[in-house]
Amino acid sequence: MGFVDYMQAVIDGLLFGTTYSLIGIGFTLVFGVMQKINMSYAAGSLAGAYCGLVGPQLLGLPPWSVFPLSIAASGLIGYLIYLTCFRFIPLASPLATLMSTVGMLLLLDEIIVHSTAGMPQNYPAIYDGDPIVLGDFILRADLMGVFLVCVVAMAMLLALLYRTRLGMATRAMAQQPVAAQLCGMRLQAVNGLTFVIAGLLGGVAGAMIGAAVGMLSPLIAGPITVKGLIVTVIGGLGSIPGAIVAGLMVGAAENLFQALRNVTERDIYVMLLLFVFLVLRPGGLFSGARGRD
Amino acid sequence: MRKAALLLSSALIAAAGIAAAATAAAEDRAVIVKGFGAKSGVVRSFGINSEAAMRAAAELINSQGGVKLADGGTGKIEVEFLDDRCTAEEGISVVRRMASGPTLVAIGPTCSNVAEPLFGVLQKKAGDATDSGLQFPIFTDVAIKGGLAKISEWAFRNVPSESEMYTSLFRWVKQTKPELNSIFAGVEENFAHSRATWYAVMKEAAPKAGLEVKGEAKWLLEDTNFAQQVREIKAASPDILAIAAHPFTTCGVLKEMRRQGVKVKMLIGLTSSSSLETLQGCAKEADGIVIPTSFAPVTQTAEAAAAQAAKYNGSLDLHSAATYENVFILKKVMEEQGVLAKPDTVQADREKIRKGLAALKETDGLLGKSKRTDDREAVKPYLYVHAKDGKWVVLHNPVTN
Amino acid sequence: MDFYYSLAQIIGFHTLLGLSAYIVLQTGQVSLAQAGFFAIGAYVAGMLTVLAGWHLVPAMLAAGLAAALMACLVGFPALRVRGLMLVIATLAFGEAVRLFFFNFDYQIAKGGVKIGPLGGEGFRQIRWFPENGWTSLEVMLFVWLVVALVVAALWWTDRSRFGAVLHAVGEDEVAAQSVGINLTAVKVTAMTIGGFIAGLGGSIYAHYTTHIEHLNFNVLLATFAIAYPILGGLRSVFGTIVAVIFVQGFLVEGLRFLGDWRNLLFGALIVLAMNLRPDGLIDAATARRLARLFNREHRRA
Repeated sequence: MGFVDYMQAVIDGLLFGTTYSLIGIGFTLVFGVMQKINMSYAAGSLAGAYCGLVGPQLLGLPPWSVFPLSIAASGLIGYLIYLTCFRFIPLASPLATLMSTVGMLLLLDEIIVHSTAGMPQNYPAIYDGDPIVLGDFILRADLMGVFLVCVVAMAMLLALLYRTRLGMATRAMAQQPVAAQLCGMRLQAVNGLTFVIAGLLGGVAGAMIGAAVGMLSPLIAGPITVKGLIVTVIGGLGSIPGAIVAGLMVGAAENLFQALRNVTERDIYVMLLLFVFLVLRPGGLFSGARGRD
Repeated sequence: MRKAALLLSSALIAAAGIAAAATAAAEDRAVIVKGFGAKSGVVRSFGINSEAAMRAAAELINSQGGVKLADGGTGKIEVEFLDDRCTAEEGISVVRRMASGPTLVAIGPTCSNVAEPLFGVLQKKAGDATDSGLQFPIFTDVAIKGGLAKISEWAFRNVPSESEMYTSLFRWVKQTKPELNSIFAGVEENFAHSRATWYAVMKEAAPKAGLEVKGEAKWLLEDTNFAQQVREIKAASPDILAIAAHPFTTCGVLKEMRRQGVKVKMLIGLTSSSSLETLQGCAKEADGIVIPTSFAPVTQTAEAAAAQAAKYNGSLDLHSAATYENVFILKKVMEEQGVLAKPDTVQADREKIRKGLAALKETDGLLGKSKRTDDREAVKPYLYVHAKDGKWVVLHNPVTN
Repeated sequence: MDFYYSLAQIIGFHTLLGLSAYIVLQTGQVSLAQAGFFAIGAYVAGMLTVLAGWHLVPAMLAAGLAAALMACLVGFPALRVRGLMLVIATLAFGEAVRLFFFNFDYQIAKGGVKIGPLGGEGFRQIRWFPENGWTSLEVMLFVWLVVALVVAALWWTDRSRFGAVLHAVGEDEVAAQSVGINLTAVKVTAMTIGGFIAGLGGSIYAHYTTHIEHLNFNVLLATFAIAYPILGGLRSVFGTIVAVIFVQGFLVEGLRFLGDWRNLLFGALIVLAMNLRPDGLIDAATARRLARLFNREHRRA
């Protein structure tokens, strides 16, 4: 295992890490607005990716239709999660929301398993060309494509949040819900909208994960949820730039740990990385706007 | 008031639910054989196929007159399939539920990680009065991890001997392709079955056939990134790559190999991966992979059985074929041992079935006769299949060739 | 009947798991690490009865103490994080414990056969109960004796000064601090007690299933641990027991007759339950009504 191998591991990890960033952003968006975690977020994103497969498999549409369908489906699922797990539960019961989103996670998982009999489903790649060779390093062309799409999605999200009225309403509701409502914004509408936006983003993440792996399987939901949560915490709850950086970091780190040690111990080191952050920087890389728990 | 009503209705529903769990259907001269396995999670298709195979076999037996009981009566096999969700707790719970009722014997489980704890719960030596383990015969169809039936004298398995199959496969490969000398593996480290099959079976068998073992690359069952492992494969540049993993990661590795342009002269896979899932996930990349299996529709009985299982929305593969065979073997054992299937002879019937299964030296299978070992395992006829054009095609049948 | 005894055993050790999270939840900490302490209890007890030949009761106590020690060590760094960060930190810890056991080999040869935990393959043949001839009924009674003792201890705690201190810390840390309560001591103590209870539960689990492996102690189990007290309501110990009976007795076993639908209903009913009763099955109002009911009975007698 030479230096080249370690660098290669880091590069691979950075490219795949953008998907973790997207999932982390999704968790952090919902947290920023509602001060609660949506545990079923990753499962919802994957469910959206599965829904996208309906296009080519059942409706006979061309393969690329999977991507827009996945994204749209995830947005819809995001809104459904808002309705069933957040809308009617009082704000003062955070534990109830935690549990209801866990229930939703189990439900989404079961629906996926039932409709596919648990079998892995083929998912098209973003770009199926040959890998790009740069000296000793190989860059997977499709991961470059995934990286690009994720970066574009993040840019669009930031543009939405900071350059549009819709985005301003979301941020206002997150920072000062009472004042925002006094200004005439409707709490339920804006919160629902946030979930839709997070859902759309999750749809991109789910579609990109499917494209990067080449297959969708119910097995993916669990590890992505855990890693997404770790990314959110390392980045700082409520901070989008934090989630972006943390996602790349976790992606690179886990690959590096795997190269340095072995695959069975890899995740222990990822956990240790999280603990190091929690001990040294409990607020995360960039503490959220309010810094509250 | 509303809350009280809600609480009361919830309590009533809970009570009704538990009551429904309690009342088994009132049975007449039914021979109750239950199946159990995974109908949830990634292994759901196994459970669906096993259930279909069981129902198909039972229907055939019942239509041909059922089971001849010791006192001259006829018993109709009644089948029910219970979901254990591939968890040890539920597996044990399900079996205890069956054992508390009129079930005579159970076929299952699907998952090896359920079978191991379950067999530990059974009485270790039949008739040992100091051992309060469960006295209930289990005839396994799918759980394939090596050496499990040893755990208890009430546990019997009809699964192919991976040790036998891979030893013979490696020998055949060396014979027909003498230019292949080295083997490297990819192993799913956190799944007991995959892990055991490489370290305990393939890694031992390969040197005996004259193949040089160059090492192994490891990953986890749920991993999605195999770049590093494929680089290790490339560095080892083996002639043969053995992938001891299930379809999801098998396909992941094969796709990564295609991306990195890593080729080997021969691919060998895990028995469980000779299924639809692998072809669904990566038919193109898996083309040519050779897997030993104990089932393919190559005989008339096999084809007929496959058609019947299809009627119940299941497909026959090496796992569900064993379920099918098990029902017939049990019918034979029950008739030979003189089972009565009366409500008051349940435990006596179970002991007869256990004795009968233990006494078997050979059984009928869909591909021919299987031998039974002293360890309560099976040595089944097998053949090698390989993936060709999106289908599993027989590559070589050691029995006929 | 054997089935009901075994169901009662399952409800028993799940109750212990739930109670271990309950006591920690009283101080306002949501801990997803209880499955990790459960795992420690399971492995330690298993190794003591199988490898060292100990009797089950001292093995259980030792396992509980080992888990409690670990919980104490976790309790200190846990103080640095609050709220949802703690949830994720404890989740990560639980996973780290699971991964430790995934990599843990300790086999000794006994009579020509190697026994003990073997990493990914798990730890088999933990057969203390059947080897010592315990019937299902006896095991159930034993399990519920342990559960009853723990429940009694927690119920008494709820009513004691210590319980008031726990609730104070859970309700409002700043206010509690301002009346002189030592937050560190209270939170770490609660964590330690929770670890001990989880260790007891784990030891019973190991001897129930006779074979344990790292995958048994995954995130799902950790989630169940906090699900029970949250579903049951944090006002009363009995809420957790009711929740365990609801989940294990009704959702898992009772709904079996629904076949495939059971799994779908599992998640759906949890979502529904949380929408209908966000403070748990036995929330403050119900707890008061039950208390009044029992008081009325008491006074009449």
